[in-house]
Amino acid sequence: MSTVKQQAPLNEVSQAQADIIAKDLPEFEEHAKQEIKYTTCYMCACRCGIKVTVEDNKVRFIQGNPNHPINKGVLCAKGNSGIMKQYSPAKLSAPLLRKPGTERGAGEFEEISWDRALDMLEKRLRRIRETDPKQLAYFTGRDQMQALTGMWASQFGTINWAAHGGFCSVNMAAGGLYTMGHAFWEFGDPDWENTKYFMMWGVAEDHSSNPIKLGLKRIKERGAKFVSINPVRTGYQAIADEWVAIRPGTDGILALSMAHVLLKHHLVDEEFLIRYTNSAQLVVMTPGKVGDGLFYRGDSEVPQVWDQVKETFVDSNLPDITPALFGEYTAPDGTPLKTAMSIMVEKYMDEQYSPEVAAKECGVPAEDIERMALEMAHVAFKESITIDVEWTDWAGRKQDKFIGRPVSMHAMRGISAHSNGFQTCRAIHMLQVLLGTIDCPGGHLAKPPFPKHVPPGIKPAKEMAPMTPLKSPPLGFPTCPEDLAINEDGSPRRIDKAYSWDAPISCHGLMHMVISNAVKGDPYKIDTLMLFMANMAWNSSMNTEQTMEMLVAKEDDGEYKIPFIVCSDAFNSEMVAYSDLVLPDTTYLERFDTISMLDRPISEPHAACDSVRIPVIKPDRDVMSWQEVMVEMAGRLDFPAFTKEGGERKYKDYKDFIVNFEKEPGIGFLAGYRGKDGEKSLRGEPNPRQWEAYEENEGFFEMHFDMNQRYMRHANLDYLKLAKEAAWVGNTNQIVIELYSEKLQTFRLAGQGLYDGPMPTEEHHKERLVKYFDPLPIYYMPLEEQRIDRDEYPYHAVNQRPMFMYHSWDSQNAWLRQIMSQNYLFMNRVAAERDGIEDLSWVWVESHNGKIRCQVKLMEGTNEQTVWTWNAIAKRGGAWGLDDDVKENTDSFLMNHLISELLPQKGDNMDRVTNSDPVTGQAAWYDLRVKITPAAEGETGSWPTFEALKAQPNAKKSPKMLSYSSHKNVNLLRSLSDILTRGDK
Amino acid sequence: MHPAFSVLTFTVMSGAGYGLAALLILGHLSGINGLQDTNVLLTSGILALALITLGLLCSMGHLANPKNAWRAFNRFKTSWLSREGVFAVLFYPFFLIYLLGVWTQGAEINGFISIIGLLAALIAVVTLFCTSMIYASLKTIRQWNSSLTPLNYIVLGLMSGSIVLAAIQSSLTGSASSILYQLATALLILGAIAKVIYLFWIGKPAGSTINTATGFTQASVRLLDQGHTSNGFLNNEFGYTVEANKIICLRVLMLVLAFLIPFFLILSGSSTLTIIAALLTVSGLLVERWLFFAEARHVVRLFHGDQRT
Amino acid sequence: MKLGLVIDLDTCVGCHGCATACKQWNTSGTIGPLADKDPYGREPVGSWLNRIRSYEVDDSPNSKTVHMPMSCMHCDDADCVTVCPTGASYKREEDGIVLVDQDKCMGCNLCSWACPYGARELDPEEGTMKKCTLCVDRIYDEKLPEAERQPACVLTCPTRSRVFGDFDDPESEVSKLVRERAGKALMPELGYNPVNTYLPPRNKPVQDQIDTASLKDTVKGWVNKMIAR
Repeated sequence: MSTVKQQAPLNEVSQAQADIIAKDLPEFEEHAKQEIKYTTCYMCACRCGIKVTVEDNKVRFIQGNPNHPINKGVLCAKGNSGIMKQYSPAKLSAPLLRKPGTERGAGEFEEISWDRALDMLEKRLRRIRETDPKQLAYFTGRDQMQALTGMWASQFGTINWAAHGGFCSVNMAAGGLYTMGHAFWEFGDPDWENTKYFMMWGVAEDHSSNPIKLGLKRIKERGAKFVSINPVRTGYQAIADEWVAIRPGTDGILALSMAHVLLKHHLVDEEFLIRYTNSAQLVVMTPGKVGDGLFYRGDSEVPQVWDQVKETFVDSNLPDITPALFGEYTAPDGTPLKTAMSIMVEKYMDEQYSPEVAAKECGVPAEDIERMALEMAHVAFKESITIDVEWTDWAGRKQDKFIGRPVSMHAMRGISAHSNGFQTCRAIHMLQVLLGTIDCPGGHLAKPPFPKHVPPGIKPAKEMAPMTPLKSPPLGFPTCPEDLAINEDGSPRRIDKAYSWDAPISCHGLMHMVISNAVKGDPYKIDTLMLFMANMAWNSSMNTEQTMEMLVAKEDDGEYKIPFIVCSDAFNSEMVAYSDLVLPDTTYLERFDTISMLDRPISEPHAACDSVRIPVIKPDRDVMSWQEVMVEMAGRLDFPAFTKEGGERKYKDYKDFIVNFEKEPGIGFLAGYRGKDGEKSLRGEPNPRQWEAYEENEGFFEMHFDMNQRYMRHANLDYLKLAKEAAWVGNTNQIVIELYSEKLQTFRLAGQGLYDGPMPTEEHHKERLVKYFDPLPIYYMPLEEQRIDRDEYPYHAVNQRPMFMYHSWDSQNAWLRQIMSQNYLFMNRVAAERDGIEDLSWVWVESHNGKIRCQVKLMEGTNEQTVWTWNAIAKRGGAWGLDDDVKENTDSFLMNHLISELLPQKGDNMDRVTNSDPVTGQAAWYDLRVKITPAAEGETGSWPTFEALKAQPNAKKSPKMLSYSSHKNVNLLRSLSDILTRGDK
Repeated sequence: MHPAFSVLTFTVMSGAGYGLAALLILGHLSGINGLQDTNVLLTSGILALALITLGLLCSMGHLANPKNAWRAFNRFKTSWLSREGVFAVLFYPFFLIYLLGVWTQGAEINGFISIIGLLAALIAVVTLFCTSMIYASLKTIRQWNSSLTPLNYIVLGLMSGSIVLAAIQSSLTGSASSILYQLATALLILGAIAKVIYLFWIGKPAGSTINTATGFTQASVRLLDQGHTSNGFLNNEFGYTVEANKIICLRVLMLVLAFLIPFFLILSGSSTLTIIAALLTVSGLLVERWLFFAEARHVVRLFHGDQRT
Repeated sequence: MKLGLVIDLDTCVGCHGCATACKQWNTSGTIGPLADKDPYGREPVGSWLNRIRSYEVDDSPNSKTVHMPMSCMHCDDADCVTVCPTGASYKREEDGIVLVDQDKCMGCNLCSWACPYGARELDPEEGTMKKCTLCVDRIYDEKLPEAERQPACVLTCPTRSRVFGDFDDPESEVSKLVRERAGKALMPELGYNPVNTYLPPRNKPVQDQIDTASLKDTVKGWVNKMIAR
């Protein structure tokens, strides 16, 4: 973004006065004693650059780095509270071993040395690796080094690895990657500089918290319209020009209804559809037969289109053809064919998608649905913009301009966390594609290394053998049933049942199922569960209370059902008490880290960027960062990628590994300052001074693209060549946007029994595949709602984290908790008055899975059928250095207790199925429906509550008064004469 | 406003003390026959000193950083609190010289002492006025920001002082001075009238609202979140809330204790009953002062969700 | 000079970034430390110089949420200064900043009573009054880069909803914003003449809809166009 103010705040005359004033002031800061260091924030997943002033190994000030591509100098409430994280009394200070003879969950530990801890872990892991590697389940929370942890798991040889994407955003990632090769958040951004109409779907605070805030300011400053679709009006919605109070889980029908309006009025970008999407490709129309719904290829390998000039079928990937976007054709062998676009028009023109019908489902008035669609069409087609830059398209043809259709969108949690989220996300992307707003000026821009071909060409690993690395990463992108990680009999191979018939395209795994499955032994038992940055004994689990019980569940012989639990955490979190071995992590200010181009880097649409963390504070405890443990353990266990031919260790530590590891020649974890002298970007041999180069460059690398590489990158040859060189894509072929997903259709055929390959045997799997694997975006009622009595549970219940805690897993912070230490159940005032529920009264909230007691707060800005709360405010007493009687414990509540990890029980064969999106396995924690009844007289305080956790051995006592400062203040004295002589002013 | 005990006792005790001192001197010098007794004068004077000093000590208890209390004299130019402090201190030498005069010369003091005495009486009233202006000058509190506040403080100070004076005079001399009793009765009536006017006046809706506070004057405004869960300094200081019922009860109690019963007790002319009247008035005024704070609604409350002050 | 802030209510999302940036800078700043009582207990209460309050304006369904950050307004007619007996509270002649000399404050609370905006909070540890200094220890610090000589809250604001400047200079950004966006003072009726000014939420932009009348003829069916790939 170019417009951020970094100029002096005062004009000349004022500055001259300021200069004079400055002379009379004392020296407030001893700058000579201070040091300025640059690193990357980790108070959430936004990854802002920070400039840290340190004195005497104490933090003076953490501010946004003005030069940083992500946050451009700004910083949120979390980032500004880093000091309180650094000096938290709940920091762990040494490795902990559960005291022999004590129960797991009691929180009784003894401190042990790192040597002993690592030896113990090594021994256990070695045995597992030598016998049955899948016995290790390794799951990480919101970490940003999945490139490393995933690689570690591959080298170990277990497919039982994933991060937290399965309960966070896999619907958004998969929805985008299976449609256009990029997506929202880390994969794409609205073009804040040029967009004229911005529609935000279901976003609370978000991952990209500061960039969105900067962007919203920018578009409002320019007078663009900002529409927010969200059942709840808080932060971002508060400043929207239009707030659409949709009923939760129905965004899909709203998007499809807007598509209906566009199609009804022929308001689609036909050039865009023909040139950049597969909508002209011909689909085989043979219902009930093998091959139905797949693309017609004839004798070619490539889907065919009908060329209107040659009047024949031709390969769809040829340049200079004139494909028919509409129509029915017959193949030479008599097979009936229809263009994907014709199928779409017929489908979405149906009355079920009309605004009038959609309005009944989503609660948005029909006239508003129609109006918003027509407003967007106006912006896209009547207010389009052009950027006169010559560029080369995928076929090598020169184009003289980029055409911008300045409508943009962003979508996240409110779409993602529903069991229809994948298809809803596809519906939103379809809307964007119909308007021609993908990667064009003013539209939705991809962020490198995206876009990738649809979907990215990595297949999930499914074979395992002792002492053998996996052939591919544990997580990937299946394109057909053959890619599933299932056994001959169709049973799941992974502990979380990812890539099984339960959730075939679960590209991020199902972390929310691991504990439940392992305890049940379904599909099998494991030996060791290793967790990093995941508070599974508290707010990171659905069904928290029962999860805590599962973590301590024992077999008949007295052995724990999960025999060994290892966690790495910097603080005394709720999870620590449920671990057998605890490895104390560093804080983010104490460690090296990479935000890698191999993972989800910090790129901006017009620049490839990545960044690092560099310690700014020396730890005062016996702690080791988890990534350091990873590299150490990889060396001890002789992982091939970490071992030289002679058996010697390849990397001495994490820093060494990051600099010298090459995924392929010249490609490593960090894309900047490569080559022997640091002159090469993206690809180049390892640079021994790479860390120093990052340190000198304020902790990040940023490579701007040439003007001709900035848009239409799915079909931009100059960009694609660069992307291939950087190993972001495997070839320079056009990335064709797939409105019609043949990949989904293969699964649907498997469900129909019409697939020439693996097919499910159980009825419910067949039904789910047929119903939900529609090759075109669909809307269906979220699964929980389908299985409960909607009248009995009349309210939707959702939750979000407040901006000042969003994505802040270890948010227990002395400053931030002052802003909020109790959460309420927010309800629409009118709805509550109708139901006789009073403001600030205590109520019981009950779902099919359980009940909780909490306090109600009434408000205006909530959909009348929705209640909601701030998530993860509740903490367990004693955890995080808190007193036992804190409001986080006595008055706050977790909605998690109400949410089951399984579908509502009905005594059928769906009872064992995960409460997740049937396509991606995304945890459906927004599907929750509840009933609300007033608590009886005298029933106050939250319920359930749990026994307070113990402080760790040698833990610092939490202070009763905190007066943090990095130096004694230099007071500005007022003179006595001034005091005695000044008049009123 | 939070009724801090230290401030309640301070204003009531020093009010009675200054009222007592002022009336004692003025009565003495104007030749009221009940006040020409050295014993009465000295006893009343010492009691006045005790009340004032105790009150001032109480007020110190209100300071969070008392080591800087001495600096409070510095801003006489603008601060009523500073002025109060200056006059409160200034009162001591004048009053002490006057009392010394009475002690050494008896009731028949010379002209110099008389002038000093007059000045002491004046300073006492001025101090009372300064105290009242601390509150009356605050535009942030509608219930205080009025000339009724100084009227209340001065009248009630003199009123309580007059009853104490009558009680001392009658119990020491055995016979009640009718003029002192008449004065006390008159002040009780005046005080009651002033208080009732005040109560009516604060009952009128007026002043800032949540709309003017937030700048949204065209529609209703509701607080959604005050920005912190636990009540902080501002809530504790300004957020004090009493139920309407309790307020009414306390108002009745205050009127009965401070005015009504003492009025009838004084009418009896009995010195014992007058002592009881003095004690009742002082306790009634403690209730009055508690209400003065508890019913005062600072505009900061608007930002915390109150619709009006 | 008349230094102060302009706060844009049209874009403030209520993130509390300014509040914690303020707390962070000032706890080690000239009026620091800003103590926190019971920081890990049931009623954690610290002194903060900037707080964010959220309001809902009007009734459902036509209501609007507004986030309102509030700190010292550095009033032209600052009664908090008038009432201060010790002289600890003062308004600087040279730039209008209202400050509390921490060495002189006796903690009588009177200035906080005189302040209509709740801008002053007593420090629970030190017993002195704490308030916004407009980061006097940043804005004149010539060792800081020029662009960073701004209050911490302004530097950090992720929606750039806070602007610092000289209200005496008609050409300053703050003066221009107040003129162009009809900036408002809070509780003007009390006559404090606050310097900090709030920009009210803007009216919705008017967005045209595409004219569908001209498209009616083609509703019947789609016709293939000759578009080369």
